[in-house]
Amino acid sequence: MSVIPFIFDVLAYSAIFVLVVLGLGVIASMMGIFNFAHGEFVLLGAYTVYLVTEQGLPVWVGMIAAPFAVALVGLILERAVIRRFYAAPIIAMLGTYAIALALREGVRMLLAGQFFSVVAPLVSSFSVGEVSISKWRTAVILITVLVMVACYLLLTRTRFGLQVRASLENPALARASGISTGRVYAATFAFGAALAGLAGGLMVPIYALNADMGVPFLIKSFLAVMLGGMGSFEGSIVGAAFVGATSAALPWAIKPVVADMLVFLIAIAIVKFRPEGLLSTWRK
Amino acid sequence: MQDDYKHKLQSYSRRLFLERASLLSGMVALGGGSYLLNPKGTWAADPIKVGIATDLTGPISWGGIPNSNVAKMVIDDINASGGLLGRPVQMILEDTATNEQLAVTRVRKLVTQDKVDVVFGGITSSMRNAIKDTIVNRGRTLYIYPQLYEGLECTRYLYCTGPTPAQQCDTFIPWLMKNGGKKFYLPSADYVWPHTLNKYARKVIEANGGEVIGEEYFPVDHNEYSATVNKIMSSGVNVVFNTTIPPGVAAFFKQLYEAGFSKKGGRLACVFYDENALNITPAHEIEGLASCLDYFKAVNDPFGNRIQEEYNKLYGTKNPLTAGSAATGMWRGLNLWAESVKAAKSVKREEVATALEKAKLTDGIGGGCEVVPGTWHVKMHMYTAVANNGRYEIVEKSKGMVDPKECV
Repeated sequence: MSVIPFIFDVLAYSAIFVLVVLGLGVIASMMGIFNFAHGEFVLLGAYTVYLVTEQGLPVWVGMIAAPFAVALVGLILERAVIRRFYAAPIIAMLGTYAIALALREGVRMLLAGQFFSVVAPLVSSFSVGEVSISKWRTAVILITVLVMVACYLLLTRTRFGLQVRASLENPALARASGISTGRVYAATFAFGAALAGLAGGLMVPIYALNADMGVPFLIKSFLAVMLGGMGSFEGSIVGAAFVGATSAALPWAIKPVVADMLVFLIAIAIVKFRPEGLLSTWRK
Repeated sequence: MQDDYKHKLQSYSRRLFLERASLLSGMVALGGGSYLLNPKGTWAADPIKVGIATDLTGPISWGGIPNSNVAKMVIDDINASGGLLGRPVQMILEDTATNEQLAVTRVRKLVTQDKVDVVFGGITSSMRNAIKDTIVNRGRTLYIYPQLYEGLECTRYLYCTGPTPAQQCDTFIPWLMKNGGKKFYLPSADYVWPHTLNKYARKVIEANGGEVIGEEYFPVDHNEYSATVNKIMSSGVNVVFNTTIPPGVAAFFKQLYEAGFSKKGGRLACVFYDENALNITPAHEIEGLASCLDYFKAVNDPFGNRIQEEYNKLYGTKNPLTAGSAATGMWRGLNLWAESVKAAKSVKREEVATALEKAKLTDGIGGGCEVVPGTWHVKMHMYTAVANNGRYEIVEKSKGMVDPKECV
């Protein structure tokens, strides 16, 4: 009886997690920057959707606009701040943390500290036998799969992807081969930000819009990237699916407060035994 | 020569850096978060100083902003009608920024530097617990806490003017049983307010012949509730008595709605839900949600309407005056205190506290109220309301004032 909701729940939550981690994974694996402002990029995506709906336009317009708006913010931040820190990843981390605080408190001021709901393009649920399945969550699962595949193709099958990977592997050689690494980094960062914006836009009907909406995802997203292994895009996706699935599955069996800790314990144990990441053997 | 120049440049830039850094740290130390609001007009006497310490920024700012707004409105009204004891009332506002460590420093400034005559504020229980010692014991100052809370705060000179578990449960839970059913589920955020409130709610549920099917605690920032929703749906629960908090509560209510809980006859209940909280979820997802508070706009009494009107004219509707944000508690607290100062003809703590023991308001927002002597809590009218298409409808009013049943 409860098998279908269980499977659906694990899938739906993993999908949201993968969506959030995609952008973080791109930036972390392709640029070696841990972007602490990622949660706030998600927030900005959600905020864009809210602004668009406030103008009386349909929600899906906002969801399409969100990645572009956040990409622009990402691009500006990369050019103004992040690019100065490529040589010092730890300082970059602190820098992005400062950006995160500024963005979060800025949005909080604009929202007057309040919560706002956004109605999904698809409301309510459909029934599978006795069980009700949320339409919007189903849509999110499908969109996530599409975005995942598109990202994978972009990074492995296109010229841009090649340039990005070349700039990561050996920046000096990439520059010598005529790739403008600065531009590639800027584009990669903007692309990562766009993915966060999309995640925020798709998530906001499930969670309420508020300044802190990105915060609960941040630490677990880093855990996902760590699990997947730094420098591997596919790895972060597998890591995200793992963290999302355990976070959703464990509360079915044990107390949610304990489950929250257990997710970290399991992940840390895995990192201990497979420090190269979940996909290390497969990649070799 | 070149080296010499370079050296000079370096030392200059270092000095410049130091200058700027000290300027910045000075700004951080002095500026931001402290506001002196002087009474209008010319006064011969020294002002009475009221310290307001509340969360104007940070996650609890949705509550702090209307709190400071109400305080300013009440104090301006007092000054416009001649002040207290012929003296103007000066409001000193401190932003506690939803940060307990910072708040202690800010409150210490209020009591030691500004030497305020009374402190109002704090919204979360953790905030109250962080600042109360600095105000009441070390600062020897009167403290009034305005938010609905879990009870058990029995500290002399600390008056709680928001509703307690007894006030929110005694009439509400029997109503839920009549208009929902006898099987309750208590999903909760894992901190002091839900734990203590649930203990009381369980007592009332069982005393009335009901049954608690489940009581479950989630991390405060939890946002995935499918497992719980499934348990609720499969165990025939009639009433979900919710104490999970924003932002997670939005995801929880949505999942309950999508599982068809209300459609299948279940009753959703949440005692912090006020008009402001209606924005957290789309209206159709919380159709039929019941709440019990000391005031709703839907009470629609002339006194409350007048205050609402005045408030909206001054501050707009972005941060409305509602009960769940402690704004009604702040209104009640300030007016009870002002009455006590008049009665005591003094602002000294001991004398005002003695007068507060007998303080009452014949009229107020949500009706009159009175302090229960020797308990530091307030008797007040309570209202049960149900969400209907994005608004509340009052479905039950308490018979007279409800006892807080604290510290007896």
